[in-house]
Amino acid sequence: MRIAITRTGGFAGIERRAELDTTGRPDATHVQALAHRALASAAEEGTAVTGVPDGFRYEISVDGRTIHCADPHLTHDQRELIRFVLKEGA
Amino acid sequence: MKRAIHPVFCTIVPPHVLDKLAQSEDPTVSGPARRTLEHDSLQRTRRRITTLRGAAAPTGTPSDKPQRTIYDAGHQEVTPGRKVHAEGDSPVKDATVNRAHAGLGATFDLYLKVYGRHSIDDSGLPLDATVHYGEKYDNAFWDGSQMVFGDGDNDLFLDFTIPVDVIGHELTHGVTQHTANLEYYGQSGALNESVSDVFGSLIKQYALGQSADQADWLIGAGLLGPNVDRGVALRSMKEPGTAYDDNVLGKDPQPTTMEHYVRTSRDNGGVHINSGIPNHAFYLLATDLGGNAWERAGKIWYATLTGGELSSDADFADFARLTAATARSLFGEGDEIQAVLKAWSSVGVPAS
Repeated sequence: MRIAITRTGGFAGIERRAELDTTGRPDATHVQALAHRALASAAEEGTAVTGVPDGFRYEISVDGRTIHCADPHLTHDQRELIRFVLKEGA
Repeated sequence: MKRAIHPVFCTIVPPHVLDKLAQSEDPTVSGPARRTLEHDSLQRTRRRITTLRGAAAPTGTPSDKPQRTIYDAGHQEVTPGRKVHAEGDSPVKDATVNRAHAGLGATFDLYLKVYGRHSIDDSGLPLDATVHYGEKYDNAFWDGSQMVFGDGDNDLFLDFTIPVDVIGHELTHGVTQHTANLEYYGQSGALNESVSDVFGSLIKQYALGQSADQADWLIGAGLLGPNVDRGVALRSMKEPGTAYDDNVLGKDPQPTTMEHYVRTSRDNGGVHINSGIPNHAFYLLATDLGGNAWERAGKIWYATLTGGELSSDADFADFARLTAATARSLFGEGDEIQAVLKAWSSVGVPAS
């Protein structure tokens, strides 16, 4: 499973992007389940995301499906996935 | 698995439905509903929600003293968190808490003493802030009803309570929300960002007692961490595009004039990029007039933002024309209007 996350906005307005492939990872099952949960709790694709000024906005792509979400209205799973991929991904 | 619900609240939702939601035990449901009700400009609605929540109703003229409360999120992404400091408390061991308290106070002071505004909503809104939000969280924001500060990752960014202009910038998003409510996209979004930079910088200048020629006109000076080799701040109103040029952060993308306006769908249509243009216009006006920037230049900008004429989808030219009209009505046919027209002309925005 390929997971790509792009973070935009924020006070600094500096974009960050990270990608992670779960293939061969010892935690693959855990990460894939987390990604499924993060996407399941997202708004429908194409729906406008209501964030706040200077709040981070996120684009999460998992095997071709893309969702959008924004601080501070993230689910627990979305937060965890974002933190994990931005830290572990390249 | 329980599917999380994110209801979208807008004015189409009847007030009685919002009232019902506002009383919900679940804060994820009651919070947005209460905020929507609270944003409603109708005093009637505000009184009704106050009654429903059983809180003390505001009486008479709002106080000339801020009412600040600082909360600690304990490195979780939660608000408000645990209450750690009330208005009358002495400074605590945690410097972040003290800085947040002081920054909220500096912002309250400028708006009250210079512009006669009572807090963010001009009705004495209590100022709440949550510090230590998230883990190594590289951001600060106004969530629609309170401030949220991250600690930074201590690599690229330090603690977001350090620069007072960052605190002022974020709280000004609250002022804008309660006044012109500039849409956070494209040129109106860049104006929203720019007025936050303008008043953020003025809050710093006022706190330090600096005149326009003494000020650094930087946004976020002191925020960049040890891993940023080449950078002084995040934005420069004096010289947009020069705040940083670094291997990790990249290069400051801000233009100075319309000639280099950046068309992009990213960053909400470049709200943090093209804000450099109105930022620089304000800098030119303030330095041309000289003295304290929060006086004549700041008053023109403040009256434009809050006067009721600025539409939420205003573009740069709409804003520029209104600043010129405001300068005339405040100061007549003098140096001020000439300086306003000259400043906008220098950045390539038509003001007449």
